[in-house]
Amino acid sequence: MRFTQKYFILFFSLLCLFSCKEESYIYEVNDLTIESNNSNKGKEKTPSQYLNILYANLYQKPLSPNKLVDLINLVNSIGDKQVAYETIIAKMMTDPDIQIPSKSSMNADIDAFVTETYKRFYVRIPTEAEKTYFVNFIQSHPNIGPEHIYFSFATSNEYYFY
Amino acid sequence: MKRRSFIKKAGLTAASSIAAPYLLPSGRLFAQTGMATAGHVVLVLFAGGVRQQESMLKRYLAESQGLDIEGNIMYNMLTGDAPELKIVYGIESADGQPGGEPIDAILETPLQLQGTLFPEVRYSTGGTGHYAGLSTSVSGHYGLTQGLQDRPLRPTIFEYLRRHAGYKATDVWFMGTGTGNSVPLLNHSANANYGAQYGANFFAPTVTFEREGGEFLNGFKTYHPDEELDPIEKMRVFLNQNFMAQGGGIPNLNNTEEEKENIKAFIQHVFDQLENDQIAFPPVTDNQDTATIGYTTELLKWFKPKLTVVNMSAIDVCHDSYTGYLQSLHRADHAVGHLWKFIQEQIPEMAGDTAMIVMPEHGRNYEHNAVLDQNDWFAFDHDSDANSRRIFTMMAGPGIEANLMVGSQGNPIGDAADIVPTIAEILGIKSEVMSAGLLHPGAMSLFDRI
Repeated sequence: MRFTQKYFILFFSLLCLFSCKEESYIYEVNDLTIESNNSNKGKEKTPSQYLNILYANLYQKPLSPNKLVDLINLVNSIGDKQVAYETIIAKMMTDPDIQIPSKSSMNADIDAFVTETYKRFYVRIPTEAEKTYFVNFIQSHPNIGPEHIYFSFATSNEYYFY
Repeated sequence: MKRRSFIKKAGLTAASSIAAPYLLPSGRLFAQTGMATAGHVVLVLFAGGVRQQESMLKRYLAESQGLDIEGNIMYNMLTGDAPELKIVYGIESADGQPGGEPIDAILETPLQLQGTLFPEVRYSTGGTGHYAGLSTSVSGHYGLTQGLQDRPLRPTIFEYLRRHAGYKATDVWFMGTGTGNSVPLLNHSANANYGAQYGANFFAPTVTFEREGGEFLNGFKTYHPDEELDPIEKMRVFLNQNFMAQGGGIPNLNNTEEEKENIKAFIQHVFDQLENDQIAFPPVTDNQDTATIGYTTELLKWFKPKLTVVNMSAIDVCHDSYTGYLQSLHRADHAVGHLWKFIQEQIPEMAGDTAMIVMPEHGRNYEHNAVLDQNDWFAFDHDSDANSRRIFTMMAGPGIEANLMVGSQGNPIGDAADIVPTIAEILGIKSEVMSAGLLHPGAMSLFDRI
C-alpha cells in the first residue's frame, strides 16, 4: 500500500511539473512589429527642422549653420512653401554631391530599395500595401529612377511632419 | 396637393434657397454683388514712415532742420517745383557731390493730376509701428492685440477677394522688400473663416532672386511634365492619401498644380532675365525698394494679377539718417512713377484697366531725435505722436476722378483702414466685405468720402 502511495505521489508530482508547460506552435510566419502607417506623426516640422532633415537625407551629412540661415530666409521669401521646397529640392537634384542610389542598384532589389526609402524619409518600414504599390509602380514605370521617388517622398505630406 | 402642404413645401424651398449657400462654378459662395470699375488694382505701400512735411507739404529742410529751403522731391506723384539749394537726395553729380543730381522725372503728368489725392488721412488708432501699419493696410483693421510675429487676426483683402470674388491664388500677390518685420506673414490672416486657403502668393524678391535664391534656386531641375512630373505626382498622391486618411495635411495657399508649375517657371524666368540684364528695373535702382519694384514689373507682366500689393521700406532709414531718408523718399517716388509707366506702356492687358493706390503705412514724429547724420541733420522716429498719425492716400485709374483733392490740413478726410473697402469697391465686392463686419469701425471706401 505504501509502495503504491509513493508511486502515486511521484506520478502526481511529475504531472504537476510538466502539465503547465506552454506548447509553442510555429506557423512559418515571421515576427512583425505592428505600427500605425504614419508612426503617429502629428507635429509639423519647422522650416529649420525640415531643411536640416532634408539635407541630411539627401546628402548624408549635416547642413552647415550658414547654409541653414540662408535656406530659411529663402523659404520665407516664397509664399507657397510647397513651391519653395520643391524648387530647392529640384536644385539639389542637380548637385553632383547628392547621395542617391543608382537606378541599377534600385532595380537589382526593388523590395530592399522601397524599404530603405521609407526608412530614410519616413523613419519607418512600409506596410505590405505600401511596399506592393511601390514595387508594382517601379516595375511598370521603367523611366523613373530613385531621384523621382526621392522627390515624391521629400515633398509628401508625411515628410512635413514628425 | 392640399393648400397646407403646398404652403409648407413652398416655404421650405424659399427658406433653404436663402439659408443654404450654393457654389458657383468658380468655387465661391454666392454671386458677386458689385460692379468692378477696374480689372486690376496695384496697392503701393509707400512704407517706412513718411512725414507729411517732406511729402505733401513739400517743406524739404524747412520744417525739420531749421533751414529755409522748401521744394518737392516727389515730382512723379506731386505737382510743385523741386528745391534749388542743398540737393542731397539724387544720384552722385558730375562734380562728385553725393546725391547732388536729382533723378529725372519719369511721368510727364504727376499722378496727382491723373487721379484723386487725399492729402490728410489719419492713422487713427493704436501705435504707429511698421507691422501694425502694414497689417492695417491689408486687413482694414487696427490689430491692437496683434502679436508682432503672428498673422493678422482679421482677414486680408486677398482673402476677401479669393473667397467672395472667386479669384485663384495667382490672381493675388504680395511683394515684400524682405523677410524681416513679419512681412511674410501679411499674405493671409489667421482668421478661421478665411486663412491660408484664400491667401495671396508672396515673394520677397530681393531674397528669392538675389543672393540666397541665386545659390539655392537658380538652375533648378525642370522635370518633363508627362514622363517625370506625372509619375512623381502619382506617387505623391498615393503617399498623401495614406497620410491624410489619418488626419495629416499642411495649410497651403490652394495653388493648383498648374499654378505651382507656373510659379516655378516664373522663378526661372526671372533668373534668366537677370542673367540677360532684362529685368525692367527703374532707371535708378540702387536700393531694395527700387529693386523690388523692378521685380514687381516682371510679376505683373507674367501673371497680370487682379490685386498686387507691393511694399517699400527704405524710408525707415530716417531713424538715423535724414539724408538717407530724403534719398529713399525721392527713390520711392521714382519707383512709383516707373511702375505706373510700365503698366501703361508695357502690359497691354493691364493698361487703362488698372487702378493704383499709394499710401504710407504711417507717418513720423514732428520732433527729431538726437541722431545727426553726415550733413549734421537730425533724424526722426515714429512714436505715435500726432504727426506720425498723418498720412496721405493717392489713387489713379479708371473710375477715379482726375485732378481732385479731397480734404486738407485743417480738414482731414480718410483713414488708413479705408484701403481695404476701397479696393473691394474697385473690384466689385464692397458689400460682401462690409457685411462681413470685420473691418475697423468707421472704415469706409474712400469713394464714399468724396
